[in-house]
Amino acid sequence: MTALVIRRLVWTIPVILLVILFTFLLMKQIKGNPFRHTERNVPVAIQQNLEHKFHLDQPWYVQYAYYVKGVFTFDLGPSMALRNQTVNDVVEEHFPTSLELGLFAMLFAIVVGVPLGVVSALRSNSVFDYSAMFLSNVGFAVPSFLVATLFIYFFALKWGAFFDLPTNGWSGWNSKILPSIALGLAPMAYFARLVRGSMLETLQQDYVRTAMAKGLRWRRVVLVHVLRNSLIPAVTAAGPLLGFLITGSFVIEFIFAIPGIGRYYITAVEARDYSVVMGLTVLLSVIIIVANLLVDILYGFLDPRTREARA
Amino acid sequence: MRRRSTLAIGAVALALTLLAAACGGGGSSSSGNGNGNGQEKAAAGNLASSQVITVNWGTEPPSLDPGLATDTTSSNILLNVMDPLVRLDDKLQPKPSLAQSWDVSPNGRTVTFHLRHDGRWTNGDPVTAQDFVWSWKRTISPELAADYAYQFYGVVGAQAYNACKSNCAALADKVGVSAPDKYTLKVRLTSRQPWFLQQVAHHSFLAVNKKAVDRWGSKWTEASHIVTDGPFKLARWRHDAEIDLVKWKGWRDARDVTLTRVNGKMISDGTTAVQAFEAGETDADVIGPPPDQTPRFKGRPDYQVFPALGTYYYGFNVKNIPDVNQRRAMSLAIDRQTIIDNITQANQIPAQAYVPKGMPGFATIDVKSKWLPAHGDLDQAKQLMARVKDPVKNVTLWFNNAPGHKPIAIAVQSMWKKLGLHVTLKAQDFAQYLQFLGPPPNKAVDAFRLGWIADFPDAINFLEQWTCTSGNNNTNFCDPRYDTLVKKARQTPDDNARYGIYHQLQEILMGPNGQLPFTPIYWYTYPALVKESIKGTFTINPLDSVDLTKVQVRET
Repeated sequence: MTALVIRRLVWTIPVILLVILFTFLLMKQIKGNPFRHTERNVPVAIQQNLEHKFHLDQPWYVQYAYYVKGVFTFDLGPSMALRNQTVNDVVEEHFPTSLELGLFAMLFAIVVGVPLGVVSALRSNSVFDYSAMFLSNVGFAVPSFLVATLFIYFFALKWGAFFDLPTNGWSGWNSKILPSIALGLAPMAYFARLVRGSMLETLQQDYVRTAMAKGLRWRRVVLVHVLRNSLIPAVTAAGPLLGFLITGSFVIEFIFAIPGIGRYYITAVEARDYSVVMGLTVLLSVIIIVANLLVDILYGFLDPRTREARA
Repeated sequence: MRRRSTLAIGAVALALTLLAAACGGGGSSSSGNGNGNGQEKAAAGNLASSQVITVNWGTEPPSLDPGLATDTTSSNILLNVMDPLVRLDDKLQPKPSLAQSWDVSPNGRTVTFHLRHDGRWTNGDPVTAQDFVWSWKRTISPELAADYAYQFYGVVGAQAYNACKSNCAALADKVGVSAPDKYTLKVRLTSRQPWFLQQVAHHSFLAVNKKAVDRWGSKWTEASHIVTDGPFKLARWRHDAEIDLVKWKGWRDARDVTLTRVNGKMISDGTTAVQAFEAGETDADVIGPPPDQTPRFKGRPDYQVFPALGTYYYGFNVKNIPDVNQRRAMSLAIDRQTIIDNITQANQIPAQAYVPKGMPGFATIDVKSKWLPAHGDLDQAKQLMARVKDPVKNVTLWFNNAPGHKPIAIAVQSMWKKLGLHVTLKAQDFAQYLQFLGPPPNKAVDAFRLGWIADFPDAINFLEQWTCTSGNNNTNFCDPRYDTLVKKARQTPDDNARYGIYHQLQEILMGPNGQLPFTPIYWYTYPALVKESIKGTFTINPLDSVDLTKVQVRET
């Protein structure tokens, strides 16, 4: 297991190099001037000063080398749009917020979605099953910006006196409820469907019948044998999903005015803030890589076959 | 890219109009509609016991360094925490602030400011003329690479220092800013610049505290480091979330400041901002309600619309549409009032010229162009179109992909269709769009939308844009007569005489024989939500600036 982890970690290095290269080349391909934020054009001399300051007057491979060096020395350089901040500042200040939001959303998705799927599968084709699946369809289909706006309208504004939730922000615990649920709704629905499907499949397996035939208690069969194996697809999905929730919560962060990293990511692309785009892309890749690694490790615990094969 | 992009104060009087002032505040200021107006009297009630308000500024101020800030939010915070030499009064005329008086030499090339002796930094140091010398040179320096360095290009030696590649220290010494004594600031200008005093009211001319900058480097603007000298000081700055100001009791005129605290929010989403306002979480929302919510606010006392010094226009690539009659016809075919009533909805004013109402000298400068009737004139447009020898029937209209522009483009598309034109709409994201427009514009551009917002209240700010070498003239329009007149205006200190020249400039653009290289659509407004308790004292001036020292919370 340790060897696996080390091997995977070493492999992340070329992956990150490629990510930097591709992002770098793509950013160079789209037109736009990182120092022009409004219709006003700056004079040539000032444009040159800016390009010199941010090394944009150097050949592309030198610029690439600067970025690579920055990534591996954990110094992602100054932001071109937020002139008093470095990319490290942006990450340090805003990443924890996005992480927290993503984890809360994930927690909500798992705590609600998994039991919903389990119960639906155990009582398949019952009224509960139909209503749960209907709900999950809705949760999956309705876009998060609509959910967010409706949440704010009902829970913070219309029934604000009763719920006492603020319309926006990320400071007190009560400001974190609505955004976390709004972000977690779609993955919750996804988990519910995934778990239900794989539960139904697992329930048909021979080993379940064998376990029942051996006279094991139903509860034990479900909890130990069925659930464990049924969770594998959910765990597979959970890794990338967590990465997505942490970094892809742009809409929710925008609507709830949450100072997270997703908001910066999009605005940085719009502003051609190369250093921020580069830094955040690398961060996102690392998160996805780590999340996938965690999934692989979890597999081992969940599926005896994987464990034995590796042993 | 809302209107809140501060524009550069222009490059004062310098031959290169490339450096021209103002810059278009991006996007559509399309929001709101309603009937408030900024001029209402202060609420009548007694002062409330709590003088704390919460304002939604809409975005994070990208920088609180006066040299590096380029947007309105930063500018608004800066002008309330710092002490400018000069402020603009209600009529946009300069009035003393930290400078108690000033002298202008007979040839107009030397301006001497006499500073008050009671200016103080929050660290206890006095604010001196030397602070300004140091700060201005810092902004001009190539090392800082400040966007706004060119605002100083009107100062002797500034442009050379800003562009220096070697021998920079010597060039820095030659910059025409000096402090003959502790409280006298002497500025030498490259030429007479009649609007220099108005320009000095802009945030890029603020002083910064050398000790704080030396100690903290680029981090000096953080709440825990910053040293300021204005009526408020920075109490807290949680990036992208909150920026809170508190009254600074050490300020020279602190007794005139009523508010004790101003909590700032940065809610970008218009719908959430409205909900926060309605939930009572904010007292003022300077981004105003989004257009779809505006009808709901019509007639409500907390909805206000403030006039702005800005123009939303459609430009033509005169190389692609060379016949002036076709450009006139296209201008006449646009029903501006209908666009305002149905799309932008914030009581914008249908433009009858390029220089907007509210600009000092407007009555003289205005041309009431016959090519810009509020409701358009389709009959005349068709007649003119019939006279075009080789009409361009397939027109590509470009706009940037930000909220608000597309509906206007669709409306214009249908209006031009009535002239027999087949209009193709194309959108790009803002950064790409700006590069695409040049100047010179990409050959595929026949018509495009842009906006322009003043940084300092002189029409040169608008009219300089259309010279041959301007970096902001995306139309390929070039008329030597026009350039000569702009030069003449720069040398004309007498306001009325200069306004007369501005009138001639507008005649060339859109008078009866005007060239119509572009067609103005409307003059911007700033819609805002303002609680009744602060209504009348919380106002947005035509340069998008909120003076918090005037705000008072009244009992309602």
